[in-house]
Parts: sequence; structure tokens; C-alpha cells
Amino acid sequence: MQTTDAHSSPEPWLRQQARTVRGRMLAAILWSLAGGLLIILQARLLATVCQRAVLEGIGLNPLLPLLAGVGGIALLRGLASYLGEHAAVKAAAQVRQQVRSQLYRRLLQLKPAGLAGEAGPLTETVTAGVEGLEAYIARFLPQMAVAGMLPLAMLLVVLPTEWRSGLVLLFSAPFIPLLMILIGKGTEALNRRQWERLSRMAGHLLDLVQGLPDLKIFGAAKREAELVATVSDQYRRGTMTVLRVAFLSAFALEFFATVGTAVVAVLIGFRLLAGDLTLLDGLFVLLLAPEFYLPLRNLGLSYHSRMNGMAAAERIIPLLNQSTAADEPGGLPIPAGAVELVCEAVSFRYGGQRGGVQDVSLKVPAGSLTALVGASGSGKSTLARLLLGLARPESGRITVGGADLTRLDQTAWRQQLAWVPQQPFFCTASIRENLLLGRPDADDAALDQALQAVALGAVLARLPQGLDTMLGDRGAGLSGGELRRLALGRVLLRDAGLVVLDEPTAGLDAANEQLVLDAVEELAAGRTVLVISHREATIARCGQVIELANGRLERVAAPQQYLELAP
Amino acid sequence: MRELLQILQPARHHWRWMAAGIVLGVVVIAANTALMAVSGWFIASMAVAGAAKLSFNFFFPSAAIRLLAILRTVGRYGERLVTHEAAFHILASLRVWFFKRLIPLAPAGLQRYAGGDLAGRLRADVDSLENLYLRIIAPLCTGLLSILLAGLFVAWFSRSAAVVLLGLLLLAGLLLPLAIRRLAETPGQRSAELAGELRSQVTQGLQGAEELLLLGASEQQAAQVDRLSGDLVAQQLQLGRLGGLTLAGLTASAGVALALIALVVIPELQQQQVSGPQLVMLLLFGAAAFEAVGPCAHALQLIPATRQAARRIQQLAAATPALPEPLVSLQPQGFRIELQQVSCSYGINSPAVDRFSLTLDEGERLALVGPSGSGKSTLVELLLRFRPYRGSITIGGVELTDLAANDLSRLVAALPQQPHLFNSTIRENILLGRQLGEEQLTTVLYDCCLTEWIASLPRGLDTQVGEAGCAVSGGEARRIALARVLVTDTPVLLLDEPSEGLDAATEQTLVERLTKRLTDRTVLVATHRPACLGLAHRVVRIETTR
Repeated sequence: MQTTDAHSSPEPWLRQQARTVRGRMLAAILWSLAGGLLIILQARLLATVCQRAVLEGIGLNPLLPLLAGVGGIALLRGLASYLGEHAAVKAAAQVRQQVRSQLYRRLLQLKPAGLAGEAGPLTETVTAGVEGLEAYIARFLPQMAVAGMLPLAMLLVVLPTEWRSGLVLLFSAPFIPLLMILIGKGTEALNRRQWERLSRMAGHLLDLVQGLPDLKIFGAAKREAELVATVSDQYRRGTMTVLRVAFLSAFALEFFATVGTAVVAVLIGFRLLAGDLTLLDGLFVLLLAPEFYLPLRNLGLSYHSRMNGMAAAERIIPLLNQSTAADEPGGLPIPAGAVELVCEAVSFRYGGQRGGVQDVSLKVPAGSLTALVGASGSGKSTLARLLLGLARPESGRITVGGADLTRLDQTAWRQQLAWVPQQPFFCTASIRENLLLGRPDADDAALDQALQAVALGAVLARLPQGLDTMLGDRGAGLSGGELRRLALGRVLLRDAGLVVLDEPTAGLDAANEQLVLDAVEELAAGRTVLVISHREATIARCGQVIELANGRLERVAAPQQYLELAP
Repeated sequence: MRELLQILQPARHHWRWMAAGIVLGVVVIAANTALMAVSGWFIASMAVAGAAKLSFNFFFPSAAIRLLAILRTVGRYGERLVTHEAAFHILASLRVWFFKRLIPLAPAGLQRYAGGDLAGRLRADVDSLENLYLRIIAPLCTGLLSILLAGLFVAWFSRSAAVVLLGLLLLAGLLLPLAIRRLAETPGQRSAELAGELRSQVTQGLQGAEELLLLGASEQQAAQVDRLSGDLVAQQLQLGRLGGLTLAGLTASAGVALALIALVVIPELQQQQVSGPQLVMLLLFGAAAFEAVGPCAHALQLIPATRQAARRIQQLAAATPALPEPLVSLQPQGFRIELQQVSCSYGINSPAVDRFSLTLDEGERLALVGPSGSGKSTLVELLLRFRPYRGSITIGGVELTDLAANDLSRLVAALPQQPHLFNSTIRENILLGRQLGEEQLTTVLYDCCLTEWIASLPRGLDTQVGEAGCAVSGGEARRIALARVLVTDTPVLLLDEPSEGLDAATEQTLVERLTKRLTDRTVLVATHRPACLGLAHRVVRIETTR
């Protein structure tokens, strides 16, 4: 949010999105207009029927073609409405698809650099947030266009027929947008506040439910139940105060529309009594009067659609505009052989938040197996991220075999890296496809070899479909330990010089832990491996231990030395 | 529909508001339809009189037109206010009812709900209940009543016209939407599934973004998400198309109704059963009557999703607590705690605690140590009566199952593994409604090593937790929760990792101050930090059970 000005409106961006589906938007608007013009025709026909039947005493049979016309136009109006809606919905669908695709690709780049935030809220923006655009594209924009044109068309028909009524419409109409703007300005703020309150009240209940265990510990749950009642009641009072004003804009809209129609009716009545007007023309104008106001009223009611769309856009735009750490085209070749990493007074602080690192200097020798330890929030993940080149130090530098990491050819560097997080990524696909993510050109022999190395050969042999076994959501189908080993196998396939493992053995029982650690040792041959871990068994197998505390380097020690001091 | 009305039970005493909203809704629709009908009749009569050069008493109809116009606008305003008032009253009752139902279930009973995504699910479900009266019940009742009244009104003048109008109103407002709802079932279900799949793919992809980038597989995963998103959007398009069909049906029915009314009434006009102005009146009445139908159709579309939400909430509210409250709460003698052969497991996994025995004498301070995952936190939760167990846990000689939660909270206070900070001020988070002198609070803050940090906040203790500029770190959150424990006067304290997230120096200070403060309390501290051992007289080590 910091990147955009608080006062800049997201509307230009939304309109720009709509322009990418210009054809469909145009179709949506044109079909709505066509529907509106058909109303004029229908009103004329119906008025003619009344004139003939009521004043001229004509029987049913001669009128049948006219009635068929009324019915036929009704069906055509239905069709126009369907086609218009279809085009609008399709336009919005296309926009959602485009924006989601663009946004997600962007986030996949921003996230590793730590620039986008937590996965939870981001997922929400990519899924539900993008859905929020529909209302604006499919409802608000077409309605606005129609509200600008259709009343004008109606007026052009009414004025020559009955200019007095035309004037009534003409002069009451500007009041509607005017009032809408006047009251709308006020109520938009009020409404926004009301929506905020609504979500705050929803948040209050959730907050209490999430804190229920704490409330129970302190015997405060009953008291909070009464508070739920009080807060809900306060909310009701507050919101009703807001709504009493907010509904005034709708009230004003309806007032002008209804009173306008009533005035037209009375006016026409007197002209008819004086014999200055035919029933045909009078009824025609009366039938059109409510339709004249309808698009304006619809527009007034669609401010929710507009707000939804703007709220969604406000969350999306900053993410799309957020620049990734400028990938300077560093062209230095990668030093050959196992990777030696050196940090020189490296700091990275996420704008002062916790979890950063400060002034860290250390060396990870080539071909070593190093453990990285420290409490959560001590900066372990940040350091790992910096060493992988996913984030860039704010100050200090990291060198790889003597060359500055930021000046290396990034694509070539990434090919040298492998990273296994606590919950490795697995997609809903076969085991083979998941393994091939590491090296797309690996053949079955290579896959088998990697699987043997991580002690998964026997497990795979038991599966009837072997490598073609499908993994479920998040790797469902294999146990936690097996999944870790599978991820390690995937890394083995890569010709990586530097491997970072995040808690490879957390939550595993002793037997599984040993199997995973064997695989890690297998992996460490000829590679530089960094293991983030708390577990004794894991630390004991490493060559050195780097301990972080509150973002600073606490010490570098040999495993025995570290473990003796630990509880 | 029955399920929806059932969930309204806790709010049934607001029936007056609900009924008033519905009645006003009918008045508004009636006023609008009458306005058009009277206008039509009026101008036709004026035309007839004008053509025959007769006089016509225009005073009454023209006054009625103005009156109806005002009734409609004012009524509409009133209807909106009353229905919203009703909706908020209902909502308040439902929230309180729901929260009270959840109290005995937390925390074990809530974890089963919606696969752990309690917050997300709950929010969506309670939100959709907010729509229940405002968007479903009120418009449906208003619409159906109005349709009925419209039929009766028209029948007064022409039965055949009434049949035609009623038929088309029911077609557009009830039959067509119901048929379309059936057609929408498959795409609706499919799109809900796809939305779930998309959500999990996106979450996985974002959580694994680093790995994907380093594997060079980002593009591949993005393409997968594109495919899912495309499938989802296609299903939604299908739904949108069906929505368009409802709308189109409404527009077409309204027009066809006009043609058909004219068709059946014109012969009656010829036979002088109906007057000319009445024909015009019926036509305009028919056109306006379709206003009642739109909201009705929309309400019908909302029913299935709201019913799902209502069902989930009912299920949760009706669940039996893991550890039910005893019928008669026994009074403990003192507060010596004894665990004998206690076992506990989560679901089907291997036991989190396996045949564990321990005694905590009055006044004793004991440290429970062991690697993470060894069951320390589970033991604390067992002592809080949060989970069912096998074996025996007594406090003051009373088995925990025979002790009411409220009585237990007078004996035991705890810092849980994951304390929750409420969206409120630091002060309120510490006191949780308790009364405490400023001086006592100051010493508690000092003993929790919070004084300096709080002094650094511009609004001090009245700082909103989580307010911009005051992101509370994990260590600070723990110490706020620790202060929450220290302001109580319960004899027994359970502290799960009180010093987590602190640097070594602060940790040392904290332990020293706590040791001094807690001299006369019974304390059980679960920890894997050596510094915390200074708090204890005795150390018990749990070995990993798995």
C-alpha cells in the first residue's frame, strides 16, 4: 500500500482493464441500448392498442397484429437483455482471468524476495480479491454508459410528442445526478465507514472465538458473551445512524423519479381533458416516464458494485506496481567447483521489522555441511534467503568464491542452487512429474538412482503404479518423512553447488530422521550444504554450527561444542 | 427453507421488526403499482371525457396520484430502515447465541471444524447469515404476498386477466428461478470446488515461491494456476449466463403479460364488462406488478449457499464438547495436582502423551523439560481441561472431569503455548476485564520486563495491539500474555515457554524477577530453555514419546 498515493483513485486502472475487452463491453452497452429502444417501440404499440380499443371502439381482431407486436417485442427485449448480460459477464470473466494471471506471476517473483508479505492474505487477493473486479466491469461500467445515453434517447422521443412533459423530465433528471453527486460524496465516506464497521464487527467475533481458550483460562468467556451483545447493539445503533443518511440518496433518487412520473401523469391528464392531446400520445409518454428514470436509478443503486471493484483494485494495484529488486544484469560467470560463501557485515531489516539480520559476517566453506540455528524470528530464514540471492543485502556484501553475489549472472546462479523448505512444494501430479521439476530432461535411470539414494526405492517399488503414482494435494499419499526424502531426491537430480535445507527433520520420528539425514549426507558429497535445524541428531552430523540470535551472529562453533552448551 | 427458519430460532423474539419490514415492503410495491394503475385510469378517463366534451371530477384521482407517489418514496425509505433494523437485531441475537454455544467447545471441539480453517470458514458462514433476513426472507415474503395481492386486485375487474397476470408473475418470480437454480446446481458446485482447488494451488505456489523460482518451475506452476482459473471462470460464466436467463425471463414475461392482458380484456371491454379506462388501468398495473418479482427471484438464487452455511453453523453449535461440564461440580480441597498414567492422543496419530505420571505439591515450583514435540504443551492443555484424556488428573483430590471450567479458572491460570492477543489495547489484553490498581499493574509490567517497551509507545498501555506502528513481536506478545497470568490471584500457574523470543540478557532478568515474584505460588513451567530452570525447585524431563 505504501507505493500508491492514498488519494489516487483506482478507477483509471479499472477502466484501462475494461479497455482490454472493449469489444465485449461495447456489445454489452449496445444490447442494453437496443433493449431500451425496444421499450420505446413497445410503449408506442401498447398506446396505439389503447387508443383504438378505448376511444375508437375497435374490436380484438383488427388489433391482434399490434398485440402480437407487443408480445414479440417483449421476447426481443428478453433476448437483448440476455445478450447484453452475457457480453458483460464475459468481459468481466476475461478481465478476471487476465488480471489473475498477471498478478500471480508477479507475486511468484515478489514473494521470494520477501517483498509481498504473507501467503495467506496474498492468496485471498489472487482468488477472492480478483473476483471483486466483476461487479465493476460487468455492472457499474455498462450501467453508467446506458444511464448516459438511454434517457437522452427517450427525451428525444418525448419532446416532440408532448413538450411540457418532456420539460418536466428534462428538468427533474439533472437533479438526480446532481443529488447523487452531492449526497454520494457524503455517503461514500459514510458507507465506507459502515463497511469498515461491519468488517470490524465480524472481526470482533472471530477475534473472540480465536481467543476463546484464553478467555476460558481466565474465566472471562461469560463476560465476553455479554460484550458480544453490547458490541452488536452498538454496531446496530451506529450503523442505523449512518444508514438513515445513506438511504437519503436513494430516497432523493426515488423521490424525483416517482414525483416526476406523477407530475407527468397529471399534466397529461389535463391536456387530454382539454382535447389538446390524443390518448395515444399521452399514454405513450406516461409509459416512457418511469423508463426514463430507470437507468439513472439503476446507476444510483450500483454504487456497491463500484465500491467492491475499487476495493479490489486498491489491493491489486500496489502489488502489480511493486518493483522487484532491480535484477541488474550481472554478467560474471559462476566460479567453478563447490561453492564457498562469505558474508561481510551483511544487514537486511525489512524496514525495521523483526526477522531481519544485522551486521552478520561469516564464512561457509566450500563443500561443508553447516547447521544454522537460532530461535524463530532470529533471522535464519532471512540469512538463508540472502545467501541464495533471493534478497539483496541492504548493506554489506556476500561473495561466492570471491565474486560479489549481486554481480553474478542470476540465471546461471539459480541453476547452481537448490532449496528444500519445511514443507516442500508438490503439485497434484505424478511422482515423476514432481521429480522432473528439478531437472526436466532426467531419464528414468537417473530418477531411480536419485530415489535409491534417498532410500525411497523400496517405497516406490511397493506402489502399484510406481513413478506414475499420483500425489494428492500437498503431496497427500506419502508420509511426511517420505515427502521430505522425495524433495531431497529432487534436489539430488539437480547439479547444484549450494543446497539449503530448512528443518529437514522437524516433526519426524527417530527412524525417519535417520533416513533423511543419510540422504542429506549423500547430498552433501561435493556440494555446499546449509541446514536450518533445531534437532540434535541433525546438528551432530554437521561440520560447523552457526547460531543467530535476534538477527545477529551469536557464534560459530563445532557441533559437539554447541550441543554441550545446549539444554 | 425449514433449515433457514430454524437458524432464526434464537432471534424469534424480533418477529415484530421482521413482520413490519415485510408489511412495509408490500406497502411500497402496492403504492407503486397503484400509482401506475391510477395514473393510467386517470389519463384514459380524462381522454374519454375530453373526447366526449364531458366534465370529469379530477380532484380525487390527481390527489391520489400525488399521495401514492409520496407514499411510495417515504415507504421505501422506511422499509429500508426497518428491514435493516430487523436484520441487525437478528444478527446480534445470532452472534450471542453462537458464541455461547462455542464456549464449551473451545479449543478441541473447534479444531475439527472446516479442517482447521476456523477463522475463514466462520467469517464466511456468519457473513452469509447476515443476508438471511435482508436478502432472502424479507424479499421472498414481500414478493409472494405482493403477487397474491396483485392477483386479487386484478380479479376484482377481470378474472381472466387475473389468471394471466398471476400465471406470468409466478412463472417469472418462482418457476423460472427455481428451474434455473436447478440448472445452476452443477456449475455452482463445480465452481465451488474449482475455487477451493485454485485457492490451495495458489497458497502452495506462494508458499513454495522460493523453491519454484530456484527450480526454474515458476512459469510451469503459473500456467497450472491459469488453467484452473480458466476452468473456474468458465463455470462462473455459465452461472452468469443462467443469471442473465432469469433476467431475460423477467423482462419477456412482463411484456408478454401486457399483450395477454389486452388480449383477454378487450373482448370484455366490447361486452361492457370492463370500461375503457379500466383496461388502461389493468395494463399499467400489470406492467408495474413485475417490480415485485425481481427481488424474489434473486432471493431464491441465494438460498442454497445460505442453507449450506446455516447447516455448518448448526452442526458446529450442536456438537458435544470434548470434555462436557459436570452436572455437579465437586469442590476441591486445596490444589495439589496429581497425574496418574495420563495418555492423550490427537485423532489417529500416535499418542502425544503416553502414560505420564506427575505430582505437583502445593507451593512447589516444577520445570517440565524435553525436546519439542515431547508433549509438554499437551500436558499444559490437559491440566486446563482442554482435551479428553485417559488415566487420572486430580486437583485438590477432584478429578478434572468433575470440576466445572469456572471453578478451575479460580484455581489455575496459564500462559498457553499460543496465547491470543485480542484486537484491543494492551491494558485490556492484560486485564481481560479484571479490576486492578495502577500501582499493582506497574509492578506486573516491571516483572514481565515490559516497562521499557511500553514507555517507548506514544500511547503507552492504551496502544491498540496491532495498530499501525505497533506490530507486537512474538516475544512481546508472550510477555503481555504472561502479565495476564500475573494479574490473577490463582494459587497455581502454568507457564508454557515464558521466555520464548527473548534475548539471553532479558531472559535472565525475566527469570530473576519471576523467581522473586512467584515465591508463594505453585508453578509448573514447560520449557526447553536452560535459563528458565532457575524458576524451578525440581526438574522433570519428558522423553519423546514418538
